[in-house]
Amino acid sequence: MPLLDVDDLEAGYGPIRALDRVSLAVEEGELVAIIGANGAGKTTLLMAISGVVPARSGVVRLGGRRITGLEPHEIVRLGIAHAPEGRRIFPRLSVRENLELGGFARDDNAQLKRDIDEACGLFPVLAERMHQLGGTLSGGEQQMLALARALVGRPRLLLLDEPSLGLAPLIVAKIFEVIAGLTARGIAVVLVEQNARASLKLAARGYVLETGRVTLTGTGPDLAADPRVRDAYLGE
Amino acid sequence: MRAFLQERWELVTLAVLAAAPLVVPALGGALGGQVTTLFVYCILALGLNVMVGYTGLVHLGIAAFFGIGAYVMAILTVPMYPFQIGWLAAAAVSIAVTAAIGLALGAPTLRLRGDYLAIVTLGFGEVAKVTLRNLEQITGGMKGLNPVPPPGAGLKLGGLDLGLAFAVDPRWFYYLSLAALAGVVVAMRRLERSRLGRAWVAVREDELAASAMGISATRVKLSAFAMSSAVAGLAGCLYAGSLSTTADPNAYDFNRSIMVLCAVILGGLGSIPGTLLGVAILVGFDTVLAPWADSWIQQLDVNPSGSSLLSFSGWRLAIFGLALVLVMRFRPEGLVPSRRLAAELHEAHP
Repeated sequence: MPLLDVDDLEAGYGPIRALDRVSLAVEEGELVAIIGANGAGKTTLLMAISGVVPARSGVVRLGGRRITGLEPHEIVRLGIAHAPEGRRIFPRLSVRENLELGGFARDDNAQLKRDIDEACGLFPVLAERMHQLGGTLSGGEQQMLALARALVGRPRLLLLDEPSLGLAPLIVAKIFEVIAGLTARGIAVVLVEQNARASLKLAARGYVLETGRVTLTGTGPDLAADPRVRDAYLGE
Repeated sequence: MRAFLQERWELVTLAVLAAAPLVVPALGGALGGQVTTLFVYCILALGLNVMVGYTGLVHLGIAAFFGIGAYVMAILTVPMYPFQIGWLAAAAVSIAVTAAIGLALGAPTLRLRGDYLAIVTLGFGEVAKVTLRNLEQITGGMKGLNPVPPPGAGLKLGGLDLGLAFAVDPRWFYYLSLAALAGVVVAMRRLERSRLGRAWVAVREDELAASAMGISATRVKLSAFAMSSAVAGLAGCLYAGSLSTTADPNAYDFNRSIMVLCAVILGGLGSIPGTLLGVAILVGFDTVLAPWADSWIQQLDVNPSGSSLLSFSGWRLAIFGLALVLVMRFRPEGLVPSRRLAAELHEAHP
């Protein structure tokens, strides 16, 4: 049984159907990449999984349990962390407070402290900026904070929306390095990326989304070698 | 270190205020009552600060909850009703009732933000005032309800009749309100650092991100609504108690809501010392300084025609307005800002 099982999911906004019977599965500790053009429905897919956007039909299951229709804060408690597009850190809270909020759904304070330290171990710059306000960090540091904040919640599944958006190549490399390390810790990841080349390199499997439908799926290397993907998303 | 100094500052203020009645004989007279009113408004403003400051929800009708608190207190204690359950018990009921009304108003309106929530709370404030005025059989209409007996009426402590002591010496209510204010300040300090306090701020900062952290925005906003209302209800109880009447419903009108909101903004949204200072300046001017200056002008006898141009009270709204404009121009984060707001307003965007 897969950890995450999305079955014929439909969602949208008003008359617009953003997801058209999307099905996908993610195994425990697996990294799955979703690639697609702007407006293909990648962000909506993540939001429908985490409950921010309601599903119109279809089912999402986590570990066999149906989570469709639950509120976002309930879904977080079941082990899905969502690092939304645009980082969405709390600008007027300190780095530490941001990280503590990442563990809001937890009630084991001592362990939470250790997890915050561990998250800072992944991104040492956060430890240096612990008491700085989130809004004063650079874009790359904010993305690191968003990622660390999501990890502090101890998710079984992490939804990452465009973690490389607008960042310098060096920082992107650093962030992708950390993402690649997550699966070793048993965390499954759904990675939505414009940077198809880098994300397919990391991913065990990938899905191609076009105007709300899954049009292609396969292992990371297979997709990266597929002529249709190369043509449309890898610019070759 | 800074937090430590801040707390020290509060303790010093508390000590000075606690010692004042022993040193300043005027506090045994009308001035004592005026300063008590000031404490009551401090409590009211701290309640409003939960919604406006911490949670970022605009509330233009806080005076309605202040008034409901006062009226529930009165209905449960005045001789014309059979309840007469005693001041403390009435205060507990009154706080529960205002919290419940806050929830009832909050539940259907929570999805509104900004301007729309402002309009709903404004409307509620007006409806509450008009209802209090028109339900004459219950609320006494424009006469209000009285006499609200003081706390401990009929209770004897040693040779001292507590009710009588409260009735003849305003210093009793001075101390009661000061103690209540100190209690509210301590409670707010703790709330600020609690899980709930964090959740309030997180929802204010970014609702979507907050829900991605596992925070239920609905529940968090409702709790802010209830907390604001309950604290306003407590203020209402003290107000009715110290005046021994609810006064007429106009005491709880829009002007009152706006004055308290102005005080919170002037002092600094989300800042406890700021809120207290804002009230001290605005309400202090209104209830203590202006009447004092007016009587002084009268004594000078320079205004035999009684023109309102020559009275301070006549200028109060103009002075409020000017104060707000000046603060917004030169110190938009308020006089004693919370760390966060100051950072946001004085930083180049990253």
